[in-house]
Amino acid sequence: MTKRLLLTSLLALTAGGAMADEIRVLNWQGYGTDLDWATEAFTEATGHSVVHEYFTSEQEMLTKLRTNPGAYDVVLINAAFTRQAKDEGLIGPIDTSGMKNFDTVSESFKEGELVIDGDVYGVPWTWGLTSFAINTNAFEDAPDTIQVFWDPAHEGRVSIRDDALEAVQFGALATGQDVNEITDLDVVEAKLAELMPQIRTFWSSENDWNQFMAAGELDVATYWSGSAARSADMGLPVQFVVPKEGAVAWLDGLSVPDSSTKKEAAVAFIDWMIDPEFYVKWDAEGAPASANAAAAEALPDDSFNKQVLGDPEVVMRIQFQDPVDDATREKYLALWQGLKARQ
Amino acid sequence: MAGTLNAGEGRRAAGLLAPAYLWLTLAVFMPLSAMLFFSFLTAPPFGNEPVAATLANYFAFFETGTYGRLLWKSVKLGLWVTGLCILIGYPCALVLAKQIRGRAREALFLLVILPFWSNSLVRIFSWAIVLRGNGVLERALDLVWPGDVRLGLMFTPAAVVIGLVHSYLPYVILTSYLALQAIDDDIIAAARSLGAGRLTILRRLVLPLSLSGLLAGAVLIFVPVVGSFMEPRILGGRFGTYYGTVVEDQFVAVFNWPLGAALSFILLAVVLLILALSSPILRKGLQ
Amino acid sequence: MSGLRIAGYAWLALVLVFLYAPIFVMAAMSFNASPFYQLPFEASFRWYEDLAANTAIRAAATRSVLIALAAMTIATVLGTAAALALFRYDFRGKRVLQVLLFPPIAIPWLITGTAMLIFFFAIGLGRGTPAVLIGHVALALPYVIVVVNARLASFDRTLEEAARALGAGPWTVTRRVTLPWIAPGVVAGALFAFAVSFDQFVVSYFLAKPGDATLPVLIYTAIRKGFTPEINAVSTLIIGASMALMLVVARFFSFGGHR
Repeated sequence: MTKRLLLTSLLALTAGGAMADEIRVLNWQGYGTDLDWATEAFTEATGHSVVHEYFTSEQEMLTKLRTNPGAYDVVLINAAFTRQAKDEGLIGPIDTSGMKNFDTVSESFKEGELVIDGDVYGVPWTWGLTSFAINTNAFEDAPDTIQVFWDPAHEGRVSIRDDALEAVQFGALATGQDVNEITDLDVVEAKLAELMPQIRTFWSSENDWNQFMAAGELDVATYWSGSAARSADMGLPVQFVVPKEGAVAWLDGLSVPDSSTKKEAAVAFIDWMIDPEFYVKWDAEGAPASANAAAAEALPDDSFNKQVLGDPEVVMRIQFQDPVDDATREKYLALWQGLKARQ
Repeated sequence: MAGTLNAGEGRRAAGLLAPAYLWLTLAVFMPLSAMLFFSFLTAPPFGNEPVAATLANYFAFFETGTYGRLLWKSVKLGLWVTGLCILIGYPCALVLAKQIRGRAREALFLLVILPFWSNSLVRIFSWAIVLRGNGVLERALDLVWPGDVRLGLMFTPAAVVIGLVHSYLPYVILTSYLALQAIDDDIIAAARSLGAGRLTILRRLVLPLSLSGLLAGAVLIFVPVVGSFMEPRILGGRFGTYYGTVVEDQFVAVFNWPLGAALSFILLAVVLLILALSSPILRKGLQ
Repeated sequence: MSGLRIAGYAWLALVLVFLYAPIFVMAAMSFNASPFYQLPFEASFRWYEDLAANTAIRAAATRSVLIALAAMTIATVLGTAAALALFRYDFRGKRVLQVLLFPPIAIPWLITGTAMLIFFFAIGLGRGTPAVLIGHVALALPYVIVVVNARLASFDRTLEEAARALGAGPWTVTRRVTLPWIAPGVVAGALFAFAVSFDQFVVSYFLAKPGDATLPVLIYTAIRKGFTPEINAVSTLIIGASMALMLVVARFFSFGGHR
């Protein structure tokens, strides 16, 4: 009798083990997938638990995938890096047939960088802008130009992210160039060299950014649209600005590493993440724009994403970020490292 | 005398030594050899790029001024931190070893080296909290000296130096103290009775006799500081790019391990060169 | 009291303030309610409550302690054996063996750590706890050997010879005569090994597998990628625990003081 009880409970245990996986998500810190209420609800609904790992740059994310095969099940990849990750064999095609929310993902995103030769290598999740946000205590009126970073009035009170690509593209915007086709890199370098003395520090994560703002260290700093909404929601005196020079737009997708052994749970989690219901709740706390048309429509009219990113006048000024080849990236990295080394 | 073990002794000696040295071989010497090998490759052999032998990684160091400039910056940082640690720590060790007696000395000595046993990362982190704008230090100064005082120490090279000095100061105090303590008080008393002044005693007697400890401390500080990356990253802000951070980037972010390996070996060569150049002094001091 | 003496005390006092003030502030902030370290101070235990609920930090702490205990045990056994051999026997190449103990101490950890990463990948071991443990033992070994050696230096060889003359075999001599004498050195070496491993950040940083981080690695990642005063709380606990441990040890062994 006891034996049979033992056996059944053992069976129940192993069965439970096969059903409930622990999936490991690689993402930016504080970027949607690690919201407690969302992962808890996901665990409750599916039995799978969620653990997070963070990165502070796309390069670091790629190297984490390269050097830790099998360690991750879901990874957030900027569309500009998806093809590279696929070419290196880091991520695999995703079977979207079982996903209930994939159909409403905007068609324009499905035709983009995330779908390669008909296979979905990243599920379009969110998009947004890289521009800047101001400390409203430091400005009477919000500036309308990126040149505010070079304003001597804010010397030692500005910050940009420590990222070669972002820094160079920022310099390109400031010198009136196309971020995807920078014709005069020397001008960008000179412009960034002028910026250096203005900089208080570089930031590397959203949390960094919030702490610097809260400590009153900064007047103005580059930022992401979704993050700005979130910081404002936390009570920080922050306002997001899309200057007349324009801003860089990006698309983030959720991918599944080829080496993942829990692909089914991973896809279920991705499906959970593009669910309009989740998105509306997330947006209330501050989120980037959703790539799911149904989710975007479900937003209340006064939401930041509907107001700002829905404004055609703003959309005109946006340049979507293209993939960057290795040679160009190395050139940018050398430029950026050289600038930092001279500090 | 050397090499005169009989067979049984030889076996026993080998049996006792082999595990430790095999371990060191596996965990230190073979990795260093592997790294040397890697530094001559075009790509890591487990990526999907073709691999060939090359000297390009070493040439890369000289192609742009970036790496040389950063290496010099890191060496300067090492010298600054080592120098400050000596200036602050040696007098401290002197007071402990020669001025304070009995239980008080033991208690104070323990108090000085206790932080050494706490996590170095945690200590760097505490400085980030202390130095930040509107942080504790600025608030405290504001009480003493009202008005809009902005030290602006956080995210400066000074913050990096402060954090590193705090981390490594106990080393130099520990090694100097041990050397100073070994000096017989009677010798000092004898010198004094012969009419030697305080400064003469310090310069001609105490300093030479404790030099070994002082130098051991200096080496223990200089070597890790030249390769530091965590401290500049946390405290240095836009000034926080050093040789160590660039090497770290090659391994953690950029995935250019061969370049990282070559940069590491150049660093190792420079560190060894500096130690070799100062070895006449070191040898004299350590005798 | 002469002016120089007063200056001496004052200097010492200043150094102590310098050493302890930041640690104190860091600890105080773990009791401050603001997640952004904002002042004025508002007392709260919320970060300790969060910490108690944070399984990732607890797991990392447990892992760090286990790795440190394992590294300590292995390094102490291997290191004591090697120290005994280096003390007892004279042979060609002994100097070389002694010099070989220095690279693990003297080469910047950045280089040792990245070299281990490369090598462990090349042989297919990859990153993970086994790699971390191998690295920690290697870093701790030289300390154990040096510390035990120092204790052995004061050991009277004739005791071993006398025991041998009385018919004791080599193992009996070691167990009954040598080991009891060097026991304090072995314990001190073991403590060093524990501290080296528990405090080790750089090598663990390159070798630890994601999700299997040690406590210092977790703290660093948190500092770089977003943290709350929870990190202060865990740091305060670590500092408190390691200092308490050292105080206990100091009661049994006199460090540098007069015997």
